Formats: sequence, structure tokens, C-alpha cells
Amino acid sequence: MKFSVTKEKLLEGLQQVQNVVSTRTTLPILSNVLLQATDGEVHLTTTDLDVGVRGSFEAEVEKEGATTLPARRLFNIVRELPSSEIQIDVDGKNAASIRSGQSFFKILGLPEEEFPPLPKFEDAKVVTIRQKDLRDGLRKTSYAISSDETRYVLNGLLFSMKENKLTLVATDGRRLAMVDIELEIPRSQEADIIVPTKAVTELQRLLTDDGDVKVSVSSGQIAFDLNKTLLVSKLIEGNYPNYKQVIPAEAKERVTLERETFLNSLRRVSLLASEKSNSIKLSFAKNNIDITANTPEVGEAKESLPVQYKGRDFSIAFNPEFLMAPLRNLTEDEVFLDLIDEMSPGVLKIQTPFLYVLMPMRISS
Amino acid sequence: MDEKCNQLWQKLSAALKPQVSPDTFKRWFSAVELVGVTDKTLSFRVPNNIYQYWIESNHMAALQAAVLTALGEPRGIKFISSESPVEEIEAISLARQTESGRETKPASGSSLGLNPRNTFESFVIGPNNEIAHAASLAVAQSPARTYNPLFIYGGVGLGKTHLMQAIGQYVLAKKKNVKVIYLSSELFINEFIDAIQHNNLVKFRKRYRQTDLLCIDDIQFLGGKERSQEEFFHTFNTLFDGHKQIVLSSDRPASEIANLEHRLVSRFEWGLTAELQPPAIETRLAILRKKARGMQIKLPDETFEFLANRIRSNVRRLEGALMRVASFASLSGKQLTGEVIEHLLKDILQEEARTSITIEQIQRRVAEHFDVRLADMTSKRRPASIAFPRQVAMYLARELTKSSLNEIGDAFGGRDHGTVLHACKTVKKRMKEQDNIRQTISFIDSSLQR
Repeated sequence: MKFSVTKEKLLEGLQQVQNVVSTRTTLPILSNVLLQATDGEVHLTTTDLDVGVRGSFEAEVEKEGATTLPARRLFNIVRELPSSEIQIDVDGKNAASIRSGQSFFKILGLPEEEFPPLPKFEDAKVVTIRQKDLRDGLRKTSYAISSDETRYVLNGLLFSMKENKLTLVATDGRRLAMVDIELEIPRSQEADIIVPTKAVTELQRLLTDDGDVKVSVSSGQIAFDLNKTLLVSKLIEGNYPNYKQVIPAEAKERVTLERETFLNSLRRVSLLASEKSNSIKLSFAKNNIDITANTPEVGEAKESLPVQYKGRDFSIAFNPEFLMAPLRNLTEDEVFLDLIDEMSPGVLKIQTPFLYVLMPMRISS
Repeated sequence: MDEKCNQLWQKLSAALKPQVSPDTFKRWFSAVELVGVTDKTLSFRVPNNIYQYWIESNHMAALQAAVLTALGEPRGIKFISSESPVEEIEAISLARQTESGRETKPASGSSLGLNPRNTFESFVIGPNNEIAHAASLAVAQSPARTYNPLFIYGGVGLGKTHLMQAIGQYVLAKKKNVKVIYLSSELFINEFIDAIQHNNLVKFRKRYRQTDLLCIDDIQFLGGKERSQEEFFHTFNTLFDGHKQIVLSSDRPASEIANLEHRLVSRFEWGLTAELQPPAIETRLAILRKKARGMQIKLPDETFEFLANRIRSNVRRLEGALMRVASFASLSGKQLTGEVIEHLLKDILQEEARTSITIEQIQRRVAEHFDVRLADMTSKRRPASIAFPRQVAMYLARELTKSSLNEIGDAFGGRDHGTVLHACKTVKKRMKEQDNIRQTISFIDSSLQR
């Protein structure tokens, strides 16, 4: 195998796949990247057996072939190379010679046959989504995924594809984020699946604003085909809990807030929320919210925010981090906060189908 | 059973309602069913997992408070989801965890020096050790996520080792392929010295720095051992940076360990420091009952109360006394009266009494014996008939309590520490010279200690 490529193209290709590379040392092949050179193109594949990514870059291929090379090491070398023209030549024993300007490197790889193949997708259910929509949806929900390993069905994002919409749901037991994306889904292609966190994170990196993504689901596996790149992941087995139960019925009070102003105020006041109780209090009065935080023996912070509000006066406390997370990830200018009373969950909404349920914290005294 | 469950659930609901909003109650608790009651655990059936997740995350405190109100004591709480009968996921209740089947791998535990009897289930919780227990359980449930390091300290026989071993066994039972190391700091030092001698420090480091949970007991013995401290310092940093859990125990707070480097002291205080205090009478009773049940012995309630009343300072001693009384009862077959037990436990009780004598008791007893007024103990008057008893009281206070000369002086009407010292010397001298004085004082002494 022999090819030449520009440094930028090779780096870009490696960057797309190298995050998946396994850090487990039990199977050395998993820390390698599979390179397959064909007509004018080199394909790159990495996997940790749970998630796999396949990308490619254009190159002048002199001799076709395939090998695997240590991914981290290759990436580090390429990044440091002095010239923009790189030539890679792999001999029959999987030793790669890398030439660029005055530099020469030789690194040892492993044979292609040892590399575990990505799973095949036969009889898969297929749905096509606009990349922009999916990226937007992931951004609005993925921060609420639980990292508590004892609740493994919550360690991923629910993709519920039915009734002509894709619903994305994430919850960690104290908050829940949900987005609906309208989509044509034939009856036969409906499915409820849980995509693990790692795949969600990688997918977010790969998605762009243009084009479509083809989602294929077969038993226990999911593939996201982004035209030039492909991400394959195992699914989390089990049933996602009935999240609808969490969503409160009718709200009593609604406030409209400017997202950025509200976020900035929260960020400032939360500086004085104590690590122990970690709560921030919102006190509603006519056309005004007082945001307060205090830590005994440290100090307190308070900020007033003029708003349109005509409901009754009351106070409610939230975990500031949990309240700021959706605000950071939304892009809309206006958000709506729906509340019932100080002990019932608050709901954050926007104009489009999105909602975020957040449990209040107990107000001491 | 069903009838009983229903009634209990009614009581629980009533206790729960004022604590949560009506909407919450309707939404989450109206579909919950109480299906099992044991003396340790309440099992609730929920329609599906989301109930369990949400109640655990948000309403556990309210539910536990309701259990406490309805039953008068805390119980473990377990959820069974009717959706997935196969995987009955355990409730993660921070406050109390009780469940059987925890000791699935006693072999792996005991090979590490973990006593299979030291589990969270066998630990009796009271206000004196609540925080330490809750912290330990939190650490065991999610190592390196909550409190790292966890530093447990408290006097002899209050359960430090028990908690540490419980953490070790819990982690071992819950996850496969975790590396747990439990050892005393003395063993750590010995292995370190051994490693230096045989020149295999690398192996030593590998062993300790590639573990998921490191528990070191009696860390105070590191005091004054400089090289060991340095080695431990690096081990500590490696583990901490690698997000591995560290649990330490000591008989005193980190800052009071003599000759311990400051950088170690500050690291020990980094995470959570939990103190174990001597148990209150109720807790002592509970411990005795639990122990007795474990050893399958039956003793009258009065005996339990007697023991719990008289032995206050230390759980290990309490258990020893129970053992002694129980074996006496079964060997001799005699009726256990107060006098018999008193005789049987003479030495233990005396030792106990020594710790609990107050200066005020001494003053009262001495005043009574010499027939002077209690007020004379603190007054400025000093005719010989008052001054000598006062000196005797000071002497006894010095001998029987742990108070300093200054404290004793203060207790005797704000006297100087020199005065107290002089009193002690005078009394000692006179005891040597005059038999009757020695007898009087030893009589007061023994009457105080009874």
C-alpha cells in the first residue's frame, strides 16, 4: 500500500475517527486505526467494539492495500510533520514508512485481518433525517443523560421513532429533556431504541449543517450514515422508562424570559450558591424575579430581573447547574418557564417542540 | 399479610401527604403498592422503572421521613417494578441500605482480610455514627464519585474497621473485576520496608497504585515514619488523580496525628471527615439485641438494660461483656440477678466508672463524707476542717478524672493550678504518714467507682 496526501486532509480524517480509539490495553488492535487505500481514496476505521467510526480522505493512491497502525501515535506524528506533502508506504509486514520533507518515520502496525469488522446491517429499519435537525435535537437533550452506572438504561438517549416524529429523551431522575423532530416514518419502520452516551457525543462531533443522515436500526445495533462518514454503535438493551409520567399537566404560572439575560444572571448569582446545598432561589413578584443565593459564612448574591409576570407571589429553588444547562444549549432568544407551585417541577419550553422538566429543591426556612 | 400491608400503606400515605405536593402524591405515590414488610425492609411495587428512578432521586427523603413517622424506626426501602420482574433493581437509599445476598463472594473478601461479618447490614446505626455510616455507604455505592478521600475517625471499638470492611465488601460484591486493597497502615509500612530491602519498589508501587479502592486502617501509625509518609503521599496522589477511592481511618482527627506531614494532613482533610462517637443508650441496647440475636442467645430485658446502662464508652467492650454474661448463664445455669452480673463484670465496670466520674460527683461525695457543705468546696474560707476535705477532693479529681490542673482549680472556686498541685502533694504525703487517712480516701475512692 502506498499513497500521498496533504497534511490537512490526513489530519482531518484522523480527527474524525480517533476519539473512538479504545484505551483498553487488553486488545492492542483496538488502539489501531484501519487504513484501506482504494481508487483515489483512503478509508479510516476505528472501533472500541461498542462504537465504531468510518471516515475517508482523498489521496493519490499509487498501490492499493490495507493495514492497521497505532492511531494515537500516527496522529501525533502527522500533527508535527513539517511539510504539507506526506507520503505513506506500507510494506508486506505492516511497517509503515512516513516521509514528509526532511522527516522520516517508521511505525509498526498489525495485519488488517485482525481488525474486527464493523457489523453488517441487514433487514434494518431505515429513516432519513436532516443532519441539522438531528444535531439541534442532540444538543438540546444530550446534557441531561444520566451518568449513574447503576441505572444503565438511562446512560443513553432515547430515540423514539413513531407517529411521524422522532422524539429524543434524556433524563437522570432529577430532570428530563425532550425534543420532537417531525419526520416521515412509515409504520413498518417505527422503533424505540436507546443510543449510548459515547455514540451520542461522537455523533454530535460528526454532524454538520448540510445534508441528510440515514439512520439504520437492526437488532441491537444502530448506524448513522452521514454520506462521507459512518458511525456504528451498539444499543443499550432494555426498556426506557415511561418518561411521559414525569411531565406535569397544567402549569399555573408562565413567565417569558430572555434566554441570555436570564442565563447571565443565573451564572453571576450561582457564584455564591453553596456547594453543599447548591441551590438558587427564584422569588416571583409582580413583573419581577429576584434571583438569590447564599452560603452561610461566605456571603450572598441577589439580582433582580424585570419580567412580564402577573401571577401570585411565590419562591422556588433549583439546582443552578441544572437550570443553566438547557439555557446554554438552546439557541432561541425567548424561553418560557412554566410553574405550578414551589414543590412541583418547573418546565422550560420554547416555541418549537422542546421541553425540560426540572425538580425544585426544598427551600430551607 | 395483605391486610397488614394495606394498613401500613394507609399510615404511610397519611404521613407522606403533608410532605409532598398533592400533584406529586397523585402522580407518583398513588400507583405505588406496599407488597412486603420485613423487620428490615419495605418492598414497594411500582408500575415501571420511572417511578423508582424519580422517587429515589426526588422523594426519598420524604418517603423515609414517612416511614419513620409511621413505624417509629427507619427501614430499608426496595422497589420492585412490575414491568421487569426479572431485574429487581435495588433501591439506592442513601440513608439506609439493608438487603440480603450481599455476601455472595465471601471468599474473595476474606482473602483480602475482610471479615465477612463486618457488613453494612450488621452495623447498628444511631445518631452517634449516622454521618459516618451514610458517608461510607455513599462511597461504597459510587466509589470516587462522592467523597474522596473518606476519613473516618473515632475512639477504640466504635466501628471504624467495621465500616471500612463493609465498604470493601460492598464494592467487591457489586462489581466484578474491581481491585480492592484493605490493610492496616502498619502492614503498609512493613511491606514498604520489605520492598526497600529486596529492591522491588516498583512492584510495591504497582500493587498500590493500580487499585480501585484503597482502605487503610489506623493511619495514625504513619506518624513519625518519614519515608513511608512520602511513599504514601505519592500513592495517594496517583490514586486520587486517577479517580480511585481512598478510605482512611484513625483514632484521632488528621490534624492531631503527631509527626504527620502537613501535606498529608491537608490531603486527609480534603474529602469528607466523619467522626464516630460513643453510642447513646438506645443504640447500645440495639447493638446488644442484634448481637444476642446473632449469637442466638436469650437474655432477660433487664440484663440488656443493665449492660447498656453501665457500659458506655466502647462497643467492643459492650460485646465482650455480653459474651461473658451469656457464657456464664449457659455454663452455670444460675439466675442472672443484678448482683451476679455486677460481680461477673467487676473489672469492666470499674474501668467504665473511672471514665465517667465528674468533679462534681467527687465534691459531693467528699463533702458528704466529711460532713461539710458542698458550697465549702468552692468557697474562699480555709479553716482546717474545710481545707483538708477540699484538698482530698482535689486529689481525687486529679486521680479519677482526666481534667487538667487548671480545670480542677476552676471547678474549686477558681483556684490556681499551683494550689491544686500543692493539695495533691499534701494529700499523698499524709496518706503515706497516716493509715487512717489512707483508709478514708481509698474508701471514698472505691465508693465513687462503684
